[in-house]
Amino acid sequence: MGIRTVAVYSEADRHSLHVKFADEAICIGPPKSAESYLNVPAVISAAEIADVDAIHPGYGLLSENANFAEVCRASNIKFIGPPPEVTRLMGEKSTARQTMKKAKVPILPGSDGVIESEGSALEWAKSVGYPVILKAVAGGGGRGMRIVRTPVELPGLFQQASSEAAGAFGNGDLYMEKFIERPRHIEFQVLADEHGHVLSLGERECSIQRRHQKLIEEAPSLMVTPKLRQELGQTIQKSLKDIGYWNAGTIEFLMDEDGKIYFIEMNTRIQVEHCVTEMVTGIDLVKAQLRIAAGEKLSDIVPGPVAIRGHAIECRINAEHPEKFTPSAGKITAFNLPGGNGVRVDTAQYAEGVVPPYYDSLIAKLICHGKDRTESMNKMQRALSQFVVQGIHTTIPLHQKIFDDPEFRAGNFDTKFMERFFERQAAERAEAKT
Amino acid sequence: MDENKLDELRELVDFLKENGIAEFDMERADLKVRIKFAGAAGASAADLAMARQIVAGGVAASLPGAGAPAVAATPAAEPEEKLHEVKSPIVGTFYESPSPGASAFVTPGDMIEVGQVLCIVEAMKLMNEIESDVAGEVVRRIASSGQPVEYGQPLFAIRAREERRKSS
Repeated sequence: MGIRTVAVYSEADRHSLHVKFADEAICIGPPKSAESYLNVPAVISAAEIADVDAIHPGYGLLSENANFAEVCRASNIKFIGPPPEVTRLMGEKSTARQTMKKAKVPILPGSDGVIESEGSALEWAKSVGYPVILKAVAGGGGRGMRIVRTPVELPGLFQQASSEAAGAFGNGDLYMEKFIERPRHIEFQVLADEHGHVLSLGERECSIQRRHQKLIEEAPSLMVTPKLRQELGQTIQKSLKDIGYWNAGTIEFLMDEDGKIYFIEMNTRIQVEHCVTEMVTGIDLVKAQLRIAAGEKLSDIVPGPVAIRGHAIECRINAEHPEKFTPSAGKITAFNLPGGNGVRVDTAQYAEGVVPPYYDSLIAKLICHGKDRTESMNKMQRALSQFVVQGIHTTIPLHQKIFDDPEFRAGNFDTKFMERFFERQAAERAEAKT
Repeated sequence: MDENKLDELRELVDFLKENGIAEFDMERADLKVRIKFAGAAGASAADLAMARQIVAGGVAASLPGAGAPAVAATPAAEPEEKLHEVKSPIVGTFYESPSPGASAFVTPGDMIEVGQVLCIVEAMKLMNEIESDVAGEVVRRIASSGQPVEYGQPLFAIRAREERRKSS
């Protein structure tokens, strides 16, 4: 696009690829994120001395920080993302739910606010439908939470949850949500210009997660029919148009065992796994973000109807031990990337590069695209075997095991897949010993 | 707080208002001051235009290129002795004087103490006074007025005075 770039970096990232390849680079602070990447005055000051036109906040860090977006606006720097008011609206769970509910986007059924008594709880549970989960209003982390599967056990569990919450948070108030035993994580990618046009670019499935961190993402989802994609896409487009959404965003849903889909939250930024959508639609999402921020119309950025071609899968490669998951910082001594038709690697690492201990352990994204899911899985296996990283541990061996797994290959999974996978692995190891 | 200090503060507040400064932070051995004006804008448009001119006309070339560390406007010859470098703790624009036309805070040859103000780095319309972390002699000013500086960039070379450590 011929746009000049300025990279900001902390001292720990001095030798990072983005610093090497940007037209200009400015050190904004010490390794600690709070003093560098999350340091709004430092980022803005760097933007001012470099006299930039816009800031792309990436993902994580300040990308969903409405205050930062406001400071950019006040400093006359274009923030590449939605307006701060919209970020705030969709960033807060309860306002986001209300907004989507008004727009007739299906949301996870739940009690409106605190449940006063066991009697009230029973009524709510009846309308929401079992199983339900009772949660503490004042806190989380599993405390004051009880899953209730039948009306008979509800009163007792209600008392337990309430006492536990009172003990942990000083407040025994509870609310209720529908509980999905084996949910699938489905998310929709959207693009919106600054002239009121919103486009849904289809879904991604991200059910393969470990401790709520995504490991593998794919597009399209085996569970989303063309009808659902079309209808939900339209509903989403209208709801985002109504709130004045701009730029890229992702709406996350849970799908229950019956194929019903419920809104959980929205990420008002570009996501790590945006690449799989790029591979199946042929649309460069980050480029679209820049063009939208420059004021272009969506009809010029995405000229025709969005077509989903083939199947794409992404593996997040982390600098972690593949079985113990301990972080593995250090110097990379060998780094060989796979290639070929439909194989893409996005990475900021290189041979002789150093993985610093201060940040996220993601070091590369490996994306494979094929004419169907089988072809992309086979391509991924081949690519994983050619992805050589030495000097640190990576989760490449874990991904190789997952792609060998019959349940994964058959597409039989939900967000509990990794738990069952680890159990299977442990059982196999135990059997091998006998 | 005694009358003298109160007068000092009043003068400071007037000075800040006159110059359209929205926020001011200062720490000295005897006094720590933080003043923030509600709703005030930053520096006046005239000041901003002047600051922009200084930056544009000055040393655009000294902004770091891809991968290369920031280069000072005055090329630094390799010192024979190991001098202490005072580095910028923030990103911003370096100024050697408290205001345009005024004399510099310090010049080479000056003897300075710990905590003495050496320069200003302006960031987001705030003038931040940068203090020395050592006592000694100012050997060389590395950055030049109006130059954009990054976090950790060397500003001054100081020949640190040998401190005899007393056990207490």
